[in-house]
Order: sequence, then structure tokens, then C-alpha cells
Amino acid sequence: MKTTDASQNDVIKINDLNKWYGDFHVLKDINLNVKEGERIVVCGPSGSGKSTLIRCVNRLEEFQKGSLIVNGVEMIEDIKNIEAIRREVGMVFQHFNLFPHLTILENLTLGPIWVQKQSKADAEAVAMKYLERVKIPEQAHKFPGQLSGGQQQRVAIARSLCMNPKIMLFDEPTSALDPEMISEVLDVMVELAEEGMTMICVTHEMGFAKKVADRVIFMDAGQIVEQNNPTEFFGNPQNERTQLFLSQILAH
Amino acid sequence: MQEFKVLPDLPAPVKTVGPVAWLKNNLFSSWLNGLATIVVVAILAKLLPGLLDWLFFSANWTGTSQDACTKEGACWVFINSWSKQFFYGSYPDGQLWRINLVLAMLVGIITLSIFISKEYRNKIVVPLFLLLPFIGLIILDGSLIGLQVVSTDLWGGFTLNVLLAAASIIVAFPLGALWALGRRSEMPLARSISIILIEFFRGVPVLALFFMGSVMLPLFFPEGTTVDKLVRVWIVLVLFMSGYMAEVFRGGFQAIPKGQYEAADAIGLGYWQKNALIIFPQVIKVSMPNILATFVMLFKNTTFLLIIGIFEMLSTAQTALTNSNWLGGHSTEAYLFVGLVFWVCCYSMSLIATSIERKLNTDHRN
Ligand SMILES: Nc1ncnc2c1ncn2[C@@H]1O[C@H](COP(=O)(O)OP(=O)(O)OP(=O)(O)O)[C@@H](O)[C@H]1O
Ligand SMILES: [Mg+2]
Repeated sequence: MKTTDASQNDVIKINDLNKWYGDFHVLKDINLNVKEGERIVVCGPSGSGKSTLIRCVNRLEEFQKGSLIVNGVEMIEDIKNIEAIRREVGMVFQHFNLFPHLTILENLTLGPIWVQKQSKADAEAVAMKYLERVKIPEQAHKFPGQLSGGQQQRVAIARSLCMNPKIMLFDEPTSALDPEMISEVLDVMVELAEEGMTMICVTHEMGFAKKVADRVIFMDAGQIVEQNNPTEFFGNPQNERTQLFLSQILAH
Repeated sequence: MQEFKVLPDLPAPVKTVGPVAWLKNNLFSSWLNGLATIVVVAILAKLLPGLLDWLFFSANWTGTSQDACTKEGACWVFINSWSKQFFYGSYPDGQLWRINLVLAMLVGIITLSIFISKEYRNKIVVPLFLLLPFIGLIILDGSLIGLQVVSTDLWGGFTLNVLLAAASIIVAFPLGALWALGRRSEMPLARSISIILIEFFRGVPVLALFFMGSVMLPLFFPEGTTVDKLVRVWIVLVLFMSGYMAEVFRGGFQAIPKGQYEAADAIGLGYWQKNALIIFPQVIKVSMPNILATFVMLFKNTTFLLIIGIFEMLSTAQTALTNSNWLGGHSTEAYLFVGLVFWVCCYSMSLIATSIERKLNTDHRN
């Protein structure tokens, strides 16, 4: 469904989105528009619904009320629509979720070959290009289990990029990593942001948020409590919940 | 700066290695254990000499007829004279190469699947495996390719056990996978059909299934067609095995983390692609020991076919025992031999299963 209102360059439009798990109301009246090239960081306490929200964007979760339009395609039950949206949206998970039975290169080429019907040679060329960008081309023929956590997460980012997505979703990409590996992953994400990728990142890496985010969103109890540019958000938080949260995570 | 010194490796203390320590640890670790060891050794000392004498020293090894069995011990002449039937049934003498060829193909494909590079395994070995039962059928039957036609009443012996078990698992593998997927499906119809099929074929004793196969299955075929008895048995074995395989796979599916599905979804793979490319290969890997165990069970169950008059190895042995030239009471030898052959096969398969299991356990996976 094409829409033709003023916000033409919004690649994601979320309107009054509500979601329940059984009786439990996880997302309440979420409204969020994301412009092309915009970098959004989502933070908030555990259980506030951050993961659930970004998982709704590529329909890993379904919602019961409201509307969600990604890249001009409305998210409805139709399988074809879901697959069309998933082709535009890449996702990076907290636990990498690489396919352990496939080599790194196969992990990267699987989507391009089977979903986008590229030839194997083309897909491998693109995959090597992205492996070089995340600085681990020499690992192409290893299996995920042979790589460190940071390397695996960079592979996972490259795997998403191989599908040439318009939007990238990150769900706490560094929180399962040992401290010394966090920066290698963040570096890749910063580069990606600087190239103009539209990104929604759930993360508690506030340094990253300050450096690249156009907008920081704070969620609590299934609602968007506050959103602002990083300077204002960190320097002058409005809501008491935000203040409390920031004081807690910045305390150490 | 201080230098780091590597300490030399010292030999382990004598008490923990060597035969004396082994004896102490394994046979006499406690007084109860020691008592058990003594009792077992005493029983063995009483029985073993007689047994060995019967099995080997006083046994009759050479000859062609029962009259050669003059000594006290076992009459291995009996096994010797019937060995062809034990292995090949009544398949015509000049045509035995056909059975050997099919068996060789089976062994060949299994060997190939171990040594071939991963890339070609799915493209070459899997189709070969799936084609093998049908190629085997054509070669053994012979009518389609202009060889002497050998009707299935003549097929028999141990090779029939092997071929039936192999042909069954090859078809049951994809069918069981399909049922397992159906059982996990969100479509109520697919799910209920799968559950009914799986529970039926697992719940009914295999003997009852064989009887149903020979009596009831013909009712499902169009009027006037007669379907070969062996094919009916094959169908029953396939369905029976599929029920068990579906349950084995179900366990495997449960071992796959949710993140694998989500990652596959996020890439945009469809339902069948996701299952065929991501989920199922991992399911097979974690289920391998159970798959082999189930196959061992199926393989042993093929001996039940003697009940409905299929000349597999056990019924061949019984026929041999009632042959008028061999009425000397050789049943101990016959059943020992059949038991030994099956035991060797099943034990080697469980050894393979154990080694796969060990390999999987040391596999680093996330
Ligand atoms: N499949 C599910 N069924 C029922 N409740 C769920 C399910 N998944 C999540 N929830 C609940 O929904 C709420 C939001 O979960 P969500 O994973 O979105 O939180 P989060 O903000 O990402 O938290 P975290 O920082 O711990 O990842 C939590 O209270 C969680 O317990
Ligand atoms: Mg989360």
C-alpha cells in the first residue's frame, strides 16, 4: 500500500501499535516514524518491550492493533507481504544466531542465493566484499563455532548486509560479548551508520548512542516515554523515569 | 622482568596406572565388587571349558552332510552347508551377483557419504540414497532390464533382512521428516493427520502391522491388482519406521534453538527453505545416534517377517532345521549363528552411534 502524505520519506511508520502476549499488554500505543537514513537508539529497562517492538518491524512478532508500514508496504497477514518486508529489513541478534552447520561464507550467501536467486559466484563475491568490510575475510571457510563472539557478531552483521537491506535492526548486539570484543562490533556499526544506513538499535552502549544516534528513544512498561536527540536526551532528560534510568546506567 | 618457566611433565604415580591398578579399580574397588568378581570368575570357570569344548574343540567343522557330524560338539557342517540359503535365500545360483551388486552399491554409497566433500554430499549422495531402493528392486526383479526374472518368493536370507531394512529406512527418512514437520505445523488438519499416523504406527505392535499389511493393505489397492507380498511388507515397514523416525526427529527439532528459526525468518527464507536448509540439517546431526538406534530396532524386527512367510534369515534357518536330511537337532547351532550375525551387525552400528555421539559432544557449537 503506497501512502502519499507529507512524510513521504519515512521508511517506517508505526501507528498506535498495540501488542499483547495473551493477557499481558506488552506494547501500548506505540507511534514512531523513522526517516530514511535516520539512526535511532532504543533503550530502557529490561522487560520494557524494546525487543518486542523491533521484532514487530520485521514481523518476527505479530501485533493485534494499529498499523505498521515499512518502506511503503503495510504489514498485514499476507505471507507475501511479510517476505517482501523481510527482504528490505536486516536483523542482528543478541546471540548472533549464525547457522552452525554452514561455513561463514555459506552463512552469508544462503539468503542471496535462495531468496534473491543470485548466482553462487555473484553471491560469494558480494559476501567476500562484506567480510572484508567487517575485517574478517580470512575466516570465510571456517565454521561459526570456531570464531570468537565478536567475530561471530560481525559475521552476523555481514550476513544481513549481503541481503542489501534498506533498514537494519539491532537487538542488543553487544550485550552477549566479552568486554574486549564490544568495540570491534561497535566500530562496524558506526561505519555503517556513517554510510547512511537506516538503523534502529536496541543498546545500552551510551557512547555509541551519543556518537551516531539522531534520536534516542526511552521505553518503559511497553510505552515510548521520551525521545530526543542525544544531546538533549542525555543532558536534559524530561521524564522522571528517564532520569532514574540514566542515573542507574551511568552510575557505573 | 621475571622469566616464565615451564615445569617439566612428570609421569603419573604408579598407583593409578598399570595392570595392578586397573585390577584394583575395576574389579576390587569395594568388598562387594570384589565378591561379585570372585563369583563371576567361579561361574565362568565352571561353564567355560564345556562351552569352549562344544563350540570349538569337539565341534565338527568339515563335511557336506549330517553324517560328517560324528563328534560330540557343535555341528558347524550344518551352517556351512546351508550358508548360501542363510545369506541369499533361494535366489538362483547363477544370479547371485545381482544381490551382491545391490549390496555393493549400498556399501558404496555409505562409504561415499563419509568421504565425499560436504558440497557434493547433498547433491549426489542424497539422490543416490533415495533412488537405491528402486534401482535395487529393478536389478533384483530383473524383468525391466531383460535379466532373468526372479520372482520374490525366491528372495530371502540375510540379504533380504538387510535390503528390506535399508529400503525401508531410506523411504521412512523423508516421510518421517514430513510427519514430524506436520506434527509441529500450525495448521490443525496437517497436525492432526500427522499425530494420528505417528501414534498409530508407533502404538500398534509390529507383528499386528505385518498381519494387517498382508490382509488389509490389498483392500486399498484398486480391484484386480495384486501387489507383491514383499512390496506390501515394505510398505508396512516404511510406515512403521516413519512413525518412529518422526518421533526421533521431533526430539531433534526441540534441540534447535529458537534463534535459528528467527535468523532464517529474518533473512526471508520461506517455510520449506527454512526447514530444508537450516533446521533439518541440524536436526539430523543431533538425532544421528537415535536414528541409528531406531534403525537397529527396525533391522532386528525384520526377523518377525518369518511369521507371515517371508523367507528372511530366521525363517530360512527354521526351514533348514526341518529339512529331512538334517533332522539331527541342530537348532542350537542355527539360532546361535543367526543371533551372532545379527549381533555383529547391530553391535557395529551401535559402536558407530557411540562414536558419532562422542564427536557431536566435542563439537563446539553455539
Ligand atoms: N513469548 C513471550 N510470551 C509472553 N511474554 C513475553 C514473551 N516474550 C517477551 N515477553 C514479555 O514481554 C515483555 C517485554 O519483553 P522484551 O523482550 O520486549 O523486553 P526487552 O525490553 O527487550 O527486555 P531486555 O532488555 O531484557 O531484552 C517482558 O516482560 C517479557 O517477559
Ligand atoms: Mg530484549
